[in-house]
Amino acid sequence: MAVFKDKNKLAWSLVTAGVLILPNILGEGYYLSVMNFIALYSIVAIGLCLLVGYGGQLSISHSAFFAIGAYASAIFCLRYGLHPLISIVLSQSITVPVAWGIGSVVLRLKGHYLAIATLSFTIIVGVLIKETAWLTGGLQGLGSIPSISLGNFLIDSDWRFYFIVWPLTMLLLLFALNLVDSRMGRIFRATRESEDIARLFGADVKMYKVKLFILSSVYASFAGSLYAHFVTFISPVTGSIMFAIDIIMVLAFGGFTMLWGAMLGAASLTFLNEYLTIFADYKRAIYGLALIVIMLFFPNGLLEGLKDSGRFLLQSARKVGRE
Amino acid sequence: MLSLSSVSKKFSGLKALSEVSFNVESGAIKGLIGPNGAGKTTLFNIITGVFPPSEGTVIFLGEDVGRERPDRIARLGISRTFQQAFLFKSLTVWENVMLGRHYRSKAEFFSCGLRFPWARREEKMIREQSLEYLDMFGLVDKKDRIAHELPMGEQRYLELARALATEPKLLILDEPTSGLNDNERAGFQDSVCRIRDMGIALLVIEHHMKFIMEVCDDIVVLNFGVKIAEGTPKEIQNSQKVIEAYLGTEEEIDY
Repeated sequence: MAVFKDKNKLAWSLVTAGVLILPNILGEGYYLSVMNFIALYSIVAIGLCLLVGYGGQLSISHSAFFAIGAYASAIFCLRYGLHPLISIVLSQSITVPVAWGIGSVVLRLKGHYLAIATLSFTIIVGVLIKETAWLTGGLQGLGSIPSISLGNFLIDSDWRFYFIVWPLTMLLLLFALNLVDSRMGRIFRATRESEDIARLFGADVKMYKVKLFILSSVYASFAGSLYAHFVTFISPVTGSIMFAIDIIMVLAFGGFTMLWGAMLGAASLTFLNEYLTIFADYKRAIYGLALIVIMLFFPNGLLEGLKDSGRFLLQSARKVGRE
Repeated sequence: MLSLSSVSKKFSGLKALSEVSFNVESGAIKGLIGPNGAGKTTLFNIITGVFPPSEGTVIFLGEDVGRERPDRIARLGISRTFQQAFLFKSLTVWENVMLGRHYRSKAEFFSCGLRFPWARREEKMIREQSLEYLDMFGLVDKKDRIAHELPMGEQRYLELARALATEPKLLILDEPTSGLNDNERAGFQDSVCRIRDMGIALLVIEHHMKFIMEVCDDIVVLNFGVKIAEGTPKEIQNSQKVIEAYLGTEEEIDY
């Protein structure tokens, strides 16, 4: 594993350097906004990947936690006049107990039942957002949410937000990569295969699952908070079920059991989403079709698929070279 | 060390075990034999906390563990291997053994994710110690392989290495030599004796009689959930009751 670990570190350093240099080469442009959304979706996807891919707990609640993060932060700012940075941190202190409460109940369930239970939670959060209009603005949503500011420096442009959100995304990815390759990561992977046997190795599986659920939800909610202050407008669509399914599609696309896959999935789907707009209503259909193709040809996700194809091409090239 | 007294287990009315009592002494190898369906694995599951006994007590090192959770029991020092070698498929050979070090280490989420210096040191320790256990069974060369790619014989050793990595006081082996040939079985027998010499008590279920008779200090025989005999291998071999259980009574054979 030592080699693998170094490879991960190397990849991480290269990608981090790459994303930080990119805008300095390409300059201003619409792509910056696209990249910012990729970062936000990546954060959610990385969190979900930890829970689903490594912990084996299929959860459809991440859009709800995204919404909780977004709404909590916006409400702290707008209704209580708190500084955006403080609001973002405080919102996580709402997410943690909610995730803890929900997690300790629903994680008793497994597989499809867990998926349905978490889906119900997402629906409930959606309804609550719509019905508590006095707090959340109801269907109209909440507008003119203040941008993040550091002293007098306002993070109000794509360019500025880019240099906040990408470093954060890469740090959160690093945290996840470290976690996966540690005693906790090993026990999660073991739990995914057999909870009973993980228990026989002294793992308090129930508690670990709840903690992982909380961590994973905080990733989503943190991304939600950033989103609120970046887009400055949120509505019930922000945390809709469609978004929950999108994020799961991101993982299916990139590969469930790979954190890098989660990022690749977020990037590819966001690009598809942006550049398929010319097809208007057929966008979703093309989206779905792409997913089916990926699932058929690369059942382990795009990243693993690309790796395999790369290996195959290399081998064929060598063979041809020899002949 | 381990003491079972009148342990019974009912599965929805069906009595799998009734009033089984015996002790496992430290530094000894205890055999547990009996025809299929005698309740041997049920007994193992009770000891390791997979499910509680319906009646009776299980005392381990002075503590009543009959109704404890499996992870707590594991932490007290009971480790086991499985009838069908169970290795984690998504973990490498090395990582499987590292998993054995899990509750002997303590870095939690944040220390692991942030790689605090002490968590880093601990992780290094885990890696080095696991390597020693792999070395004990000559598996170091294969440490980066996926565990279930190993041949059956090596999977059995890997299970042993992983179980030993937990530093157990009592090691439970469930049919450890099934799937091994005679040669491999002899090698495995040496390993089991080596483990006993490390001061670890063993409780072994096994169908292979030569193995059990040679390796065990003491044997318990179960039949239909009832203990029908207990004694040294010699006593068991000469016990009329045991012979009947395995071969049936004469009348049965004759009809």
